[in-house]
Parts: sequence; C-alpha cells; structure tokens
Amino acid sequence: MIPQSHFLLLGASLFSIGIFGVLTRRNAIGILMSIELILNAANINLITFDKFSGNPDGLGQIFALFVIAIAAASAVVGLCLVISIYRNSKTILINKINLMKW
Amino acid sequence: MSGLIHLLNNYGLSHEVIIKATFYFIAGLTLLFALFVVLSRNIFHVAVYLAATLVGIACIYLYLDAEFLAVVQVLIYVGAIVTLFIFTIMLTADIDTGSIRGMIRRVSASALVSLALFFILIKVITMTTWKVVLPGNAPISLSELGKSLMLNYALPFEVISLISLAALIGAIVIGKAEKR
Repeated sequence: MIPQSHFLLLGASLFSIGIFGVLTRRNAIGILMSIELILNAANINLITFDKFSGNPDGLGQIFALFVIAIAAASAVVGLCLVISIYRNSKTILINKINLMKW
Repeated sequence: MSGLIHLLNNYGLSHEVIIKATFYFIAGLTLLFALFVVLSRNIFHVAVYLAATLVGIACIYLYLDAEFLAVVQVLIYVGAIVTLFIFTIMLTADIDTGSIRGMIRRVSASALVSLALFFILIKVITMTTWKVVLPGNAPISLSELGKSLMLNYALPFEVISLISLAALIGAIVIGKAEKR
C-alpha cells in the first residue's frame, strides 16, 4: 500500500512547479497552463484525503469534480481574454501589455 | 496485463511490489513532464507536455480508486482544455517566448520562492502524523457518486451549471470581433 504522504508529496511538488511556471512565464498562455498544473495538484490532494479519511460519501471526489468544472470555465474565459488582447495589441507577452499602465 | 503480472510473479516479484514500482514510475514521469511544461521554450511543446502531465495525473487518480475522476480528467482536460490551448496558440503568434538573457534574473528569484514553498510543504507533510488507513474502506462506486451529486450536493451542482453558462456567454461576448 502506498502511504498517504507520498501522494501529498506529489501534490506539493506539482504545486511548486506550477508556482514556478506562473512566476517565470511571460507568455500569457504559459501562465494559464501553469495555473492548470496548480489546480491539478489541488485535485490530487482532495482525492487523497477522500480516500484516506474513511469518509463514505465521496465528498472529496465531488469537490474535485467541481474544481475541474471551474478550471474548465476559467480556462475558457482566460483564453478568450488572451485572444481579445492579441487582437488589440498584437502581443501576448505580459511585459509588453501596458495599455492600462499610466 | 494480468498475464504480465503473473509472469513477473514467477520471477519472485509480488503484486504489491509491481503496484508500488509502477506508481513511483508514473509519479516520476508526471513530475518530469510537469518540469518540461515549466521549462520548455516553445509554447507549442508546452501544450503537448501539459497533455502528457494530465494523462499521468489521471493514472495517479486510478491508484486513488477514483476511476470516474480519471476518465473525466482525460475527457475534459486532455480532450477539451488542451485542445483549446492549442487552438489559442495557433491563433496568436509568439511561439518562441523571448530571449534567455532577460530570463535569468526572473528565473532565479522565482526558483527561490517556489523552492522555499516546496521545502515548507515537505516539512509540514513529513512532520504531520496522518491518520492510519482504514483497511476495509471500500472505494466509492460511480452510482453512489451520482446519487450524492443529485441528492446531497444538488445545489452546488446547479451552481456549477450556472457558472458554465456564464463562462460560455462571457467567452462569446469577449471573443466576438468588434464591428468597425
């Protein structure tokens, strides 16, 4: 049996990698992808706690389903914003988007 | 698959050992692909690595007795979201992301932040004494999951559908080309 802490360590590593990606990427699409990594790390933790807590009604799995739905919605709206920004300023590098900077 | 396990059993490898070995192999591969997602320069390659990472996470879900979640992960993430990412990459230019020289300072600062976070998390996870696993804890079946989604958690389910509708309409409004 694989211990609970190893799943949690996998989630923590994925989360840290995602944070690193959010901080380093300049491409807006790359940042959105790193956010997906972070959300998946959270999902691994939720399902791990669901399995190892002995809670019979599967609340963790339902919560993970909701997280997936929210992630899909956020990806859709985020990518639409990226396309809209590209249409207006011909770039998606976030250090070149300075329309609202004074 | 079972024939393979039987074959390996003959070489003195027990079922338990095989399950553990495949788990650590898949987990390591997933982390490797996640690192590629973060480090790769070409944004199109990043999308492909992201798909591989998400498939690896779906395999991890199988180890956690969450078969439905694994299927949903592959369907929604790999099937829909990664496709959406690739479409957006195709619609916008800038496949290659910037020079490496301007990256060094940003990379070192953010590596410091994320490594510090990582070590704090490891410390917390290893220091905590987790509750002992209940041995006879049966995995949740799909029908039980559906029942509790329709009975106990019906209101959040409806709210999620509203959010999806709002995202749909918002995406159309934002993405619509303006008349000139």
